[in-house]
Amino acid sequence: MTQMISSDPVPYVDLAAQHAPLKADILAAVEGVLERGDFILGGAVEAFETRLAALIGVRFAVGCGNGTDALQLSLRALDIGPGDEVITPPNSFVASTSCIRLAGAMPVFVDVDETYNIDPDKIDAAITPRTKAIMPVHLTGRPAHMERILAIAAKHQLAIVEDSAQAILAEFDGKKVGSTGTLGCFSLHPLKTLNACGDGGVVTTNDEKLATRLRILRNLGLQTRDDCAEWSVNSRLDTLQAAILLVKLDHLEAWTDARRANAARYRRLLANVPGLTLPTDSPRERQVYHTFVVQAERREALRAYLSERGIGTSVHYPVPIHLHTAARELGHERGAFPVTERQADRILSLPVHNTLRPDQLDRVAATIREFYEESR
Amino acid sequence: MSSAVNAPQTVPFSYLDRQFANLDDYLADIRELVLTGDFTLGKPVTEFEQRFAKMIGLPYAIGVNSGTDSLILPMKLMGIGPGDEVITSPNTFIATVGAIAMTGATPVFTDSNEQYVMDPDLIEAAITPRTKAIMPVHYTGAMADMPRIAEIAKKHNLMIFEDACQSIKAAMDGKPAGSWGLTAGYSLHPLKNLNVWGDAGVIVTTSKDLYDRLRLYRNHGLVGRDEVAFFGHNSRLDSLQAVVGNRLIEQTDFITEGKRAHAKRYDEAFADMQPMIRVPYRDPRVHHVFHLYMLRVQQRDELLKYLNDHGVEAKVHYPVPVHLQPAAAHLGYKAGDFPVTEEDSRVCITLPAHQHLTADEVSYTIDTVRAFYGAKKG
Repeated sequence: MTQMISSDPVPYVDLAAQHAPLKADILAAVEGVLERGDFILGGAVEAFETRLAALIGVRFAVGCGNGTDALQLSLRALDIGPGDEVITPPNSFVASTSCIRLAGAMPVFVDVDETYNIDPDKIDAAITPRTKAIMPVHLTGRPAHMERILAIAAKHQLAIVEDSAQAILAEFDGKKVGSTGTLGCFSLHPLKTLNACGDGGVVTTNDEKLATRLRILRNLGLQTRDDCAEWSVNSRLDTLQAAILLVKLDHLEAWTDARRANAARYRRLLANVPGLTLPTDSPRERQVYHTFVVQAERREALRAYLSERGIGTSVHYPVPIHLHTAARELGHERGAFPVTERQADRILSLPVHNTLRPDQLDRVAATIREFYEESR
Repeated sequence: MSSAVNAPQTVPFSYLDRQFANLDDYLADIRELVLTGDFTLGKPVTEFEQRFAKMIGLPYAIGVNSGTDSLILPMKLMGIGPGDEVITSPNTFIATVGAIAMTGATPVFTDSNEQYVMDPDLIEAAITPRTKAIMPVHYTGAMADMPRIAEIAKKHNLMIFEDACQSIKAAMDGKPAGSWGLTAGYSLHPLKNLNVWGDAGVIVTTSKDLYDRLRLYRNHGLVGRDEVAFFGHNSRLDSLQAVVGNRLIEQTDFITEGKRAHAKRYDEAFADMQPMIRVPYRDPRVHHVFHLYMLRVQQRDELLKYLNDHGVEAKVHYPVPVHLQPAAAHLGYKAGDFPVTEEDSRVCITLPAHQHLTADEVSYTIDTVRAFYGAKKG
């Protein structure tokens, strides 16, 4: 191992570093909202929605309280509820499944493939007369196989709700995620690439009726101040957060490029490390690397080795959703989704965030090589 | 109508633009938060929860995303759902009823009384074998008759979830909302007495068990990063809003006492104006915090226009009662079912009463109202 490499700690995420250069712009945005006093569904929310819709390439974007609510409100806008089934992968953050239960419907899991996304070959077998929608998750910032999924949905007349929480600006066949399904759902959580300084979410669609219904559903069912069309929740994107997000939108392309450059650098530095499997890629996809997930032999030992050397990593996710205590009601045993389960024991997320410096990344890569060389 | 009122000026309903006298302190706190990146359930949230609980005088507070969620989460957690009935008042903001409907349960209404809150004499007639809970609304900053409601709930083995969204620091017989039922839900919406700069809510409870489970329920059911005990919501009080709340909470007494003082002046100024103006009965057991200062008046719509034309931003809460909203069509109620609430929707007017109003602005509002009815200055 070369001595040229920095020995600074490498945090898995570094929100402070991301925000330091934005401080003045963010505070100016906050002050702007205070001057207008339009804290609830104010001007910045509409401005953010307009810009986001243009960015994704859809007609409408509707801000809401968080990514979970984006999914939950989408299911309600599609009238999906008790008695209905929604197909989704078991490898995701739990909210991908809880939103289905919160809507009163049942999640039906379909295993993933080597892309970490839902395996299109296995979807047909999971469809029943109760199936109303497919909810692919663009996990790790990699688009699910939308061409196949769109064809299956069309054949069975199912809606598609794209869980795009981790994948803003990812593309499949040149089309951005959140633009080809019936509805696209984004999280703006602080750990996402486009992140609020708190919770936020947004739904994208080309369907005007759905957009109108979502605007009513996020605001207590109110069509006007005094006309309540249907009972609903309160799940609004805060004006303050929208104003902050408008500042960050200016940087999103650059941040995404930085993540992609980091991923490319890892691919170069970690090629042919025995024991390590890098994520695959395809010319049809633009991956945005919310996470850079490798599969590692002796993962826990590697993770500890990196941690001892000041390198933060994470696992997304060590327990598949169907094996959580919460999922007992669904009745799945271990072994039900073998690809997801095998990956869960091997996957490791390396630091890939946009403020990661090349010298930090190089140290991560070198330390991984060192681990496998030492233990050979 | 007399023209003997003061020169026209504006008496704003909202006080938000007057809240920012010491803006630099808030911005310094926000700058600090932005630099830490501690945005989700961070230190400011814990601090705010502790201070809020202490202010209300109860052991536990849980910050959530909105006042509506402060009602939904406890009901769902306690198993209220499809097939169940929850009794509430139709004289409320629609979110109360939306919250019940979101659990899957059926909202059942009982009429309100002279003080705009649920009439305890009418509750028992609404109880069926499916009734699981009562949700009294401490509407306008008053308190529902909690001793009576608690007695009824006990007799019929019903849960109580208090809707305290409008009544921060209100109390009955010295006991705050949240001490009578399993939980009380508070809203920190920008127009509330204690407000933040966006949506937020707080649940208070005396139950450690409920506290522990609600903390999981608002955060995906996550026991740790990788253990999900049950499928939950994402409904967190933002750290950014908690930072604002931690500054504003120090003003709660100023806000409440300001509103109470304005209300007292209004009460006295309109006491002699029956039948044109009816000041509600003020129950001496209730510490009323006047989120809304509402009167029953003759020629309400004309008065509203007159006040607005003269710069007084009076409002109506609410011109359409909840049971007559399109959303309630499936519940099968009709006009005439709740005569007190329905009459209130036609005769009630809300006057500006916020803490930042000056004595002159209150005087001007009083004089303008009196002038409308041809009465002398108050």
